Amino acid sequence: MPAVTTGADVNRFADSVRLRAVRMVAPHGFGYLGQVLSSAELVSTLYSTAYRPDRDQLVCSPGHYIIAVFAAAAEAGLLDEDLLATYGFNDSSLEAIGTERSPAVDLTCGSLGTGLSGGVGFALSNRLKGVDDARTFVLASDGELEEGQTWEAALFAGHQRLGRLVVLLDANDSQVDGPVSSITTIDPIAAKFEAFGWDAYDVDGHDVDALTSALASAGTHDRPSVVIARTSTRQGLQVLPAHADGHFIKLPAPLAQDAVSELEARLA
Amino acid sequence: MLEPPPYRTVLKPYGSALVDVALEREEILCLSGDLTRQCEIDLFQEKIPERFIHGGMAEAHMMSMAGALARKGHIPFVHTFGVFATRRPYDQIVNSVAYPKLPVRIVGFMPGVSSPGGPSHQAIEDMAIMRAIPGMTVIDVADAVETREAVRQIVDIPGPVYLRLKRGEIPVIFDDDHRMSLDRAQVLTRGDDLAVIACGMMIPAALAAAEILEAAGVSVTVVNTPVIKPFDAGTVLDVARGVQAVVTAENHSVIGGLGSAVAETLATAGLGRPLRRIGLQDTFAEGAKTAPHLFRKYGLSTRDVVAAAWSALGREDPLPDVPELPVATGEYAPV
Repeated sequence: MPAVTTGADVNRFADSVRLRAVRMVAPHGFGYLGQVLSSAELVSTLYSTAYRPDRDQLVCSPGHYIIAVFAAAAEAGLLDEDLLATYGFNDSSLEAIGTERSPAVDLTCGSLGTGLSGGVGFALSNRLKGVDDARTFVLASDGELEEGQTWEAALFAGHQRLGRLVVLLDANDSQVDGPVSSITTIDPIAAKFEAFGWDAYDVDGHDVDALTSALASAGTHDRPSVVIARTSTRQGLQVLPAHADGHFIKLPAPLAQDAVSELEARLA
Repeated sequence: MLEPPPYRTVLKPYGSALVDVALEREEILCLSGDLTRQCEIDLFQEKIPERFIHGGMAEAHMMSMAGALARKGHIPFVHTFGVFATRRPYDQIVNSVAYPKLPVRIVGFMPGVSSPGGPSHQAIEDMAIMRAIPGMTVIDVADAVETREAVRQIVDIPGPVYLRLKRGEIPVIFDDDHRMSLDRAQVLTRGDDLAVIACGMMIPAALAAAEILEAAGVSVTVVNTPVIKPFDAGTVLDVARGVQAVVTAENHSVIGGLGSAVAETLATAGLGRPLRRIGLQDTFAEGAKTAPHLFRKYGLSTRDVVAAAWSALGREDPLPDVPELPVATGEYAPV
């Protein structure tokens, strides 16, 4: 874990993640950019303040979010940044939806709603082996809360009091058919998890100070934790048109160039 | 090598075998889907409680969690009834276990119509859907001796395994020297007119049918194929080349299981033999009071094997008599 990280550092990390992701998606003209825009601060706070790759486990439950992890891992020096240019192309190990070949994570799942169970398995294994100094971080999405398996896993983790398990929930209110809230009411999320025996931190997912504070506490008590990051799939990229589909953003070349310019200007 | 029918039965051969192996191998974990006593793992819970995990009625979660535990070096044995072990968590078995080639052992009890509990409890296509998953080993054992053998042999298979087990009183068909092979099917009797290729709970009926057919002048090779995948095509082809016709027998749908594996094997080799497949004929069964009733009603009896042989051999004369074996309490005989 970096010794001293300021909020400004994390914000800069997040914009660098956005810029890397824009460059990964641009050659294809479309892709899972909205997931990066919404989770950039969450993932950046994780990498900057909490995640220790030599000890902790990282699960990227929705495989579509793997682009955010790739970008953040490269930014953190954990993944060869030259690889990012191969993202989504034939024969690349950086497939657009995460698979067993995906670097930088202990587990990622293309079939949504299965990752929390994987994280529960890791946390349970640590307990069985007497390892207390390791947290298991599960990046998950609000749409996955519609899958029953998520709640099977949440019940189990609560019952087992897996206190080193931390769910990082990107609540961006976006799924394929539209806003999650227009399809299934999943709120109140915190109360649901609390009722299952979890600690819940419901925060502005673009506020790195709030995220840093939540991540410092989550996974250090005797109950599993969920950090509910309220986010937007349009965050941090003004040039996106108002009608952009957050699940699968179209990024034609002129728009990609505008996006690069905007982010480069902010990082300059 | 073979005990005579009716067979004596024993209780919990699987549960005691798992405890024996787990005491030697601390990587083994035991997961239960709310069917602990029914899956004989109350023995494990009692002897090795620190490695026993209640998954509850949550099969999807249990499979994905088992995959993650396997990634960390554990060897999880996951237990429930065959229907719940395969139908509900199929996506989780595919994505969380099989695609990553993880050593999770899925143990499904109550195969086919051995349960009178109706279609929700009768695993009639479990072998088919498990066999369709790349890298999955599929095993359907015949008796208590094979069960013990299977537990020991599957521990170190690198990928996932589906083991299908009868629940309750388990017959002892083979003697103590019997060794199950993961690679080789086993020829139990040799004859040159007909081959009966069977697995699991249909082995007793296959052997009984062979005896009746022998008495009627038909010489029969009986092959035991506990490992449905990877399938021992070599033995099946050797046997099929030496006979006029082939009958398969499985306590399962005739689609996708043993009968299909044999058909694929014969066709791929270009070996034409009349083939009859005993099993559920693309139908759900039903709830009943007793399993033997269902074996009869759905065409899984000794008489059905004899009739299939008669048909495959083109015989038009009357079937030989198929006497019912008397069964005392605690004994097991084919229907």
